[in-house]
Amino acid sequence: MTQVHPAPAPPTPRREHTQVSRKSWSKRFFGRPEVGSLMGAVAIFVMFYAIADPFRTPGAQSTVLYASSTIGIVTVGVCLLMIGGEFDLSAGVGVTTSALAASMFAFQLSLNVWVGVVFALLVSLGIGLFNGFVLTRTKLPSFLVTLATFLMLQGLNLAMTKLVTGNVATNSISDMDGFDSAKAIFASSVQIGSVSVKITVFWWLLFVAVATWVLLRTKVGNWIFAVGGKADSARAVGVPVNRTKIGLFMTVGFTAWFAGMHKLFAFNTVQSGEGVGQELIFIAAAVVGGCLLTGGYGSAIGAAIGAFIFGMTGQGIVFANWNPDWYMFFVGITLLVATLLNLWVRNRAARR
Amino acid sequence: MRGIVKLFPGVRALDGVDLEVRAGEVHCLLGQNGAGKSTLIKTLAGAHQPDAGEIIWQGERVSLSSPVAALKRGIATMYQELDLIPTLSVAENIFLGHERARYGFTRPAAARAEASALLERLGHAEISPDTEVGKLSAAGQQLVSMARALAHDAQLIVADEPTAALASDEVDNLFRIIEELTAEGVAVVYISHRMEEIRRIGHRVTVIKDGRTVAANLDARETPGNELVDLMAGRKVQAAFREGGEGSAEFGDEMLVVEGLTRAGEFRDVSFTVRAGEIVGLAGLVGAGRSEVLETIFGARRPDAGTVVVGGKKLRPGSVSSAVRAGVGLAPEERKSQALLLDMSVAHNATLASLPGYSTLGFSQRARELRDATATLERLDLRPADPRRPAGTLSGGNQQKVVLARWLVRGCRVLLLDEPTRGVDVGARAELYRLIHELAASGVAIVLVSSEIPEVLGLADRVLVLREGDVLANRPAGELSEADVLDMVMEGSAA
Repeated sequence: MTQVHPAPAPPTPRREHTQVSRKSWSKRFFGRPEVGSLMGAVAIFVMFYAIADPFRTPGAQSTVLYASSTIGIVTVGVCLLMIGGEFDLSAGVGVTTSALAASMFAFQLSLNVWVGVVFALLVSLGIGLFNGFVLTRTKLPSFLVTLATFLMLQGLNLAMTKLVTGNVATNSISDMDGFDSAKAIFASSVQIGSVSVKITVFWWLLFVAVATWVLLRTKVGNWIFAVGGKADSARAVGVPVNRTKIGLFMTVGFTAWFAGMHKLFAFNTVQSGEGVGQELIFIAAAVVGGCLLTGGYGSAIGAAIGAFIFGMTGQGIVFANWNPDWYMFFVGITLLVATLLNLWVRNRAARR
Repeated sequence: MRGIVKLFPGVRALDGVDLEVRAGEVHCLLGQNGAGKSTLIKTLAGAHQPDAGEIIWQGERVSLSSPVAALKRGIATMYQELDLIPTLSVAENIFLGHERARYGFTRPAAARAEASALLERLGHAEISPDTEVGKLSAAGQQLVSMARALAHDAQLIVADEPTAALASDEVDNLFRIIEELTAEGVAVVYISHRMEEIRRIGHRVTVIKDGRTVAANLDARETPGNELVDLMAGRKVQAAFREGGEGSAEFGDEMLVVEGLTRAGEFRDVSFTVRAGEIVGLAGLVGAGRSEVLETIFGARRPDAGTVVVGGKKLRPGSVSSAVRAGVGLAPEERKSQALLLDMSVAHNATLASLPGYSTLGFSQRARELRDATATLERLDLRPADPRRPAGTLSGGNQQKVVLARWLVRGCRVLLLDEPTRGVDVGARAELYRLIHELAASGVAIVLVSSEIPEVLGLADRVLVLREGDVLANRPAGELSEADVLDMVMEGSAA
């Protein structure tokens, strides 16, 4: 218009009509889900590096990575599930259930431990299938379904162990057939230079890589984001929503199985009461890593960084000679701060 | 000739509907809210299974057992509530469910390229396939939905009120695309409540009522509008608006005085007065600042400058509770997300704003609550007249009545209505108009926002025209013609 209006303020259209197709590098970077957790991880790393001398040795770093991997392996499954819009409270005790199942099955029937390992895998996948099936059939929220599973498994772990072994822990399986080969897979160490690194670290990194690949480069990955983002819409365009969700619960089962096997072959025996509370650590790690509780958003790498933060905090406290009783307190603070950081980063990225 | 015949007697939702669509035509499906249009198109999309009847597609009898089956046959549906995943990118949404994949691995580059080509074909090459869909405008999302239909190589596209969220230039673009598609032989089933759209792009019309086809094979351009409305309603609908007489003398005291209201970037220096019994309309395009003005009066937004005075008392700026206590009620644009608790009963929804009046020592008086709600809803002629029904099960027009009832139960003095007839069919519209007049006649001061200029002019006693946050006119409705308002409203958008 050529008319001269008395200096109208520049119009600010309420809705953007078009989108700029080329984004700047920084905008892309800050748009990633894992940015907040990465910043947090760096900050915590620098803090411990500065205040705790022993933290600086390669050996200590290996320990940190090991602690992170034991959290991180299950977090991979939990994170995928969370992107798919659900979460699993039974993952923590599920780890113990798996270890107990393998140990007792093989020991009581005097079988090769590998038979127990396979049996435990079936049990863990079965728990996932059960969770997923009940959820998709009844449409109950996952909080309720998996809380029920969690309580049932907690009771089952203790009752079955007492029934079978007469004790609250399983018998040691270290002298049984196949133990050495299983330990090599699940609980050995690899020497890199002068540092010994636990094999779980490599498994963890592999799982994260696979999960990332699946999320970003496969149909199933698209489906996971879609069912978590808006399940009804996904169903309307032909995404198999129920199968995707059941598959995700079974994936959590798989990662819980793996963590359970590590536990079993690292310590030879399993305490039946373990694992309670761990499920929240997994969920917290995934959230710290940028997964939204509401689903549809997140990354496996972020969840790995989340697990690393918790692993590092747990070990860092020891290296810094603080009282380890404070561990959970720090976990809580980290969760809160990281979540706020994620929110802030996301809002900034959206605004720019 | 390709065609669909669908017959299914059986369930009450659809009681023997026939629909026959030819290749290359825009077939308009008309019917009131609740007539069974949604059920019908869901059946066509494979989301519902018919209990009886048959679907004949391109000469053969088919069963559409799932959405995928329908899509595979080339039937794509654009739902009213857009079925897109906000957190996925444009390309991912377009190919969701039929990903461009090889050996189970997606090929993002190929998907992006194809998505770009589709968007270019739709005349919107500027939308990047990498954009998150949630960040696009409503029009942009509509295009993505359309691109998805094209990606399926659809022979039949069902569009359920595609223009409901669009501004007028975007509507033109949509119509251009639809015309191109039909020229290529694609059939379109078009659902809209806007008669002029049906005239513009429709070829034939089918009218359904109470789950039955009441008229088919009507000419979209020739059939008189009132005939269509009568068919939809099954009765004669009286002229919607009050006839002529704008005797401004009968209005009461100044009820709402808005003085110099300003919010940076949204609207500037908005001043007007509403007297008891008067209806003031705000006209303008989507984004002109109309809803923002209402929300600011209601206290949901904090003004940068200016005052709101209700019944002689100045409201605390940015305080909803201050506004509600002074007797201000707001019926927001997004009924479902902003006003109603869809799972709660109609009665609960109606009394929600007046709960303190229904509690004694912290206990709510259910019986009295239900009684008052029932009385008000009867007055509003709610259908079905069951106050215990969940609000989400009602049709759009009846949901709007529940929102109105809420403020009636509370006995408010100033009522702010934001697009009260959006998504409401013609028959129910007339009823809402009557109600709004009744409310005004009972002494309530009403501020009305609507995108439909005839509605504003027909209902309001006085009209304010807004463009990009500026008030361009403040005149009695009788002094303005539709063309005047359109002129003022559009000038800015043409620049």
